[in-house]
Amino acid sequence: MQHTIVHLKRGEKGVITDVSSELIPLKLLEMGCLPGNFVELVQVAPFSDPLYLNINGSHLAIRKETAIHILIDKIDE
Amino acid sequence: MSTLFQDIIVFTILAVALVFLFKKYIWKKKAKKACGTDDCGCH
Amino acid sequence: MSKQINVALIGNPNTGKTSVFNALTGLNQQVGNYPGITVEKKEGICKLPRGVKAHIIDLPGTYSLNASSLDESVVIELLLNKNDKDFPDVAVVVSDVENLKRNLLLFTQIKDLEIPCLLVVNMADRMRRKGITLDIGYLEQQLETKIAVISTRKNEGIENLKQQISNYKELSVKPCLNASEIDTEYFNRLQKAFPNQLLYKLWLVITQDVNFGKTDRKDIDAIASFKTKSKGDLKRLQQKETIKRYQFINNVLKRGQTIDITQATDVRTKLDRILTHKIWGYVIFFFILLTIFQAIYDWSSVPMDWIDSSFASLSNWVKETFPGGGKVTDLIAEGIISGLGGIVIFIPQIAFLFLFISILEESGYMSRVVFLMDRIMRRFGLSGKSIVPLISGTACAIPAIMATRNIESWKERLITILVTPFTTCSARLPVYLIIISLVIPEGRILGLSYQALTLMLLYLIGFGAAVGSAWILNKVLKIKSKTFFVVEMPNYKVPLFKNVALTVLEKTKAFIFGAGKIILAISIVLWVLASYGPGEQFNNAENIITEQYAAQDLTEDELQQKIASHKLEHSFIGLTGRAIEPAIRPLGYDWKIGIAIVSSFAAREVFVGTLATIYSVGSDDEETIKNRMAGEVNPILGGPLFNFASGISLLLFYAFAMQCMSTLAIVKKETNSWKWPTYQFVIMTAIAYIVALLSFQFLK
Repeated sequence: MQHTIVHLKRGEKGVITDVSSELIPLKLLEMGCLPGNFVELVQVAPFSDPLYLNINGSHLAIRKETAIHILIDKIDE
Repeated sequence: MSTLFQDIIVFTILAVALVFLFKKYIWKKKAKKACGTDDCGCH
Repeated sequence: MSKQINVALIGNPNTGKTSVFNALTGLNQQVGNYPGITVEKKEGICKLPRGVKAHIIDLPGTYSLNASSLDESVVIELLLNKNDKDFPDVAVVVSDVENLKRNLLLFTQIKDLEIPCLLVVNMADRMRRKGITLDIGYLEQQLETKIAVISTRKNEGIENLKQQISNYKELSVKPCLNASEIDTEYFNRLQKAFPNQLLYKLWLVITQDVNFGKTDRKDIDAIASFKTKSKGDLKRLQQKETIKRYQFINNVLKRGQTIDITQATDVRTKLDRILTHKIWGYVIFFFILLTIFQAIYDWSSVPMDWIDSSFASLSNWVKETFPGGGKVTDLIAEGIISGLGGIVIFIPQIAFLFLFISILEESGYMSRVVFLMDRIMRRFGLSGKSIVPLISGTACAIPAIMATRNIESWKERLITILVTPFTTCSARLPVYLIIISLVIPEGRILGLSYQALTLMLLYLIGFGAAVGSAWILNKVLKIKSKTFFVVEMPNYKVPLFKNVALTVLEKTKAFIFGAGKIILAISIVLWVLASYGPGEQFNNAENIITEQYAAQDLTEDELQQKIASHKLEHSFIGLTGRAIEPAIRPLGYDWKIGIAIVSSFAAREVFVGTLATIYSVGSDDEETIKNRMAGEVNPILGGPLFNFASGISLLLFYAFAMQCMSTLAIVKKETNSWKWPTYQFVIMTAIAYIVALLSFQFLK
């Protein structure tokens, strides 16, 4: 099954495999949300929205509606 | 001071205040028309 | 004569760019607006070595030159317009040592514009704690620039930075990325068409939807023929460009930066675990809000009382010292001095609110608030940050509206500005208290007094009106706004005193010189309207009243009160109050209340004072006024004028009506247009009228 950031649990990590560039704001790409980079789910707000992420060293919060467009491979620890 | 003279001073100050308020209003109209309707950059 | 150079400070948000600006300029700075827009323009002067003066602009924080907001387009518009008087001789790119990789993205973009470019690595004091070491020599060589490692917190490296700025002519302007690598065929074609232009600049002109200077206009129109690629294609190329830039940066940092994670201490994780927690996060935020509220409501009451009494005694002093001055003395004492007092009185509240807000911003906590509140506030078209203005509006709408500045989306900010005046501000309290004590019985239910419950209900109505109208405005307002939401969660930092102090100072100044002028002008107009009137009744008031009460044995004071009352009744404001009587009679009011309503446009609390003058009770003592009000008889219906129906009607009118010129003035200033304050005034007054009408007709 294809995972997205939404499938991460708090504290879990993944590697970004693909971002559909039409749906993701350029700003997010520029902040490091690019294929190959690591992503960690740091914290979730109630109803898992928004999501607080650590992408390649950048700490940022995005909404669920954006997060479902970022595909990842989960890293099991 | 005569009452007339006082009234002149008072109304001069009033006129300054009104012109100031009026100018702020007019000046804005010149600046840009579509103000405040979108992220157009004029607000 | 010493020459002056232009220096632009550019950098990502949260890199301490403003601290660098403050360190360079100190108090030699001023804050204005870019023409026609509400983006703040900060500039200052800095003395460099060898007698060179630098004019420094603190450009809005941006993550890249691909603008996605108004603030960001300001940056790119300046950098692409060589003819702008502020066009920088040197760009100083401020970066944060912990986010060097991301910060360098912007650096490479600016360097590619072939502007002399100096890199500042700020927050060097955190390097050891984070286990970071930098090979500055290597980085300078690879990035072909000079690097200034500084710490604004420890005040280290500032002199060195000044030195390096003054040596800007030695900086290389070689680009980092060959733009044609992005898409060789397309870019070669572009270069052929415009051989004299910089390729990256052309690319930005094509991809950016911003307002360029007139001089470039011709070129751009010609380039527009290159917009043959679809938006999607262009975006794919931009993504490719971003990847290429990161490849370059990663290569440079691989040798230039080492991070020893074992050395890093992680305060962020520990704090975030509590501060963004699903339950504790909200509990802590609630207590912070409570403290802010307490500060602006309670702590500022001491300086406010002092300001109030100082201006009152100044006004009296003027009257007593220049008794012969007549109308001019009165204008100075009652119009101008009281008007100035009405401006100064807001300073404590503004200062307290911005003290807290700048601490929250500086410490990095504000981003956590947005994270916590986003989902709840989004439903009403508000931002997570709107919660602070809405709560502080309960003390006073003026600082609250000024506090909306940090809401990025214009639509969310506008809605917050428009609905904040519904919250029950402290100026409504005197009106509420006197009317509640008149018309609400004293009994208790479940240990709570009816009067207290009514007051609580009025607070709830205020909040309900604010949130409800936000929901409606969100549906009604057709404003294109960025729908996406990316918020950086910066590191926690101890706020720098200098930055906090400068913010408080700057906000206070902005209020006094921006909205203050409007408030003063309106106070003068209102004073004239209350102190002049047409016809015999006004101009001959002394004789008329003296004759009328000749038979009665009135003291001098009582006579003066009667005269003042008679004059007010026949002044322009009095006539307005009478003129609107037919309109307000269905609400249960008489013309005296009408006058009080009209004059409380200056400020709501004036209502009580005006009634005191009309009823010619000399003292401001609340009991006296209350007894006098209780004795008023409704001229049409008979019975007491202030009964349950008219009392509720008046309470609701004050709950909804926009009766505060100072708020209108600040809305005018913050939206840069009279359109929004006008809408606000008309719509809020209409709601107030309808609600008051319905409640009176239903209850009478």
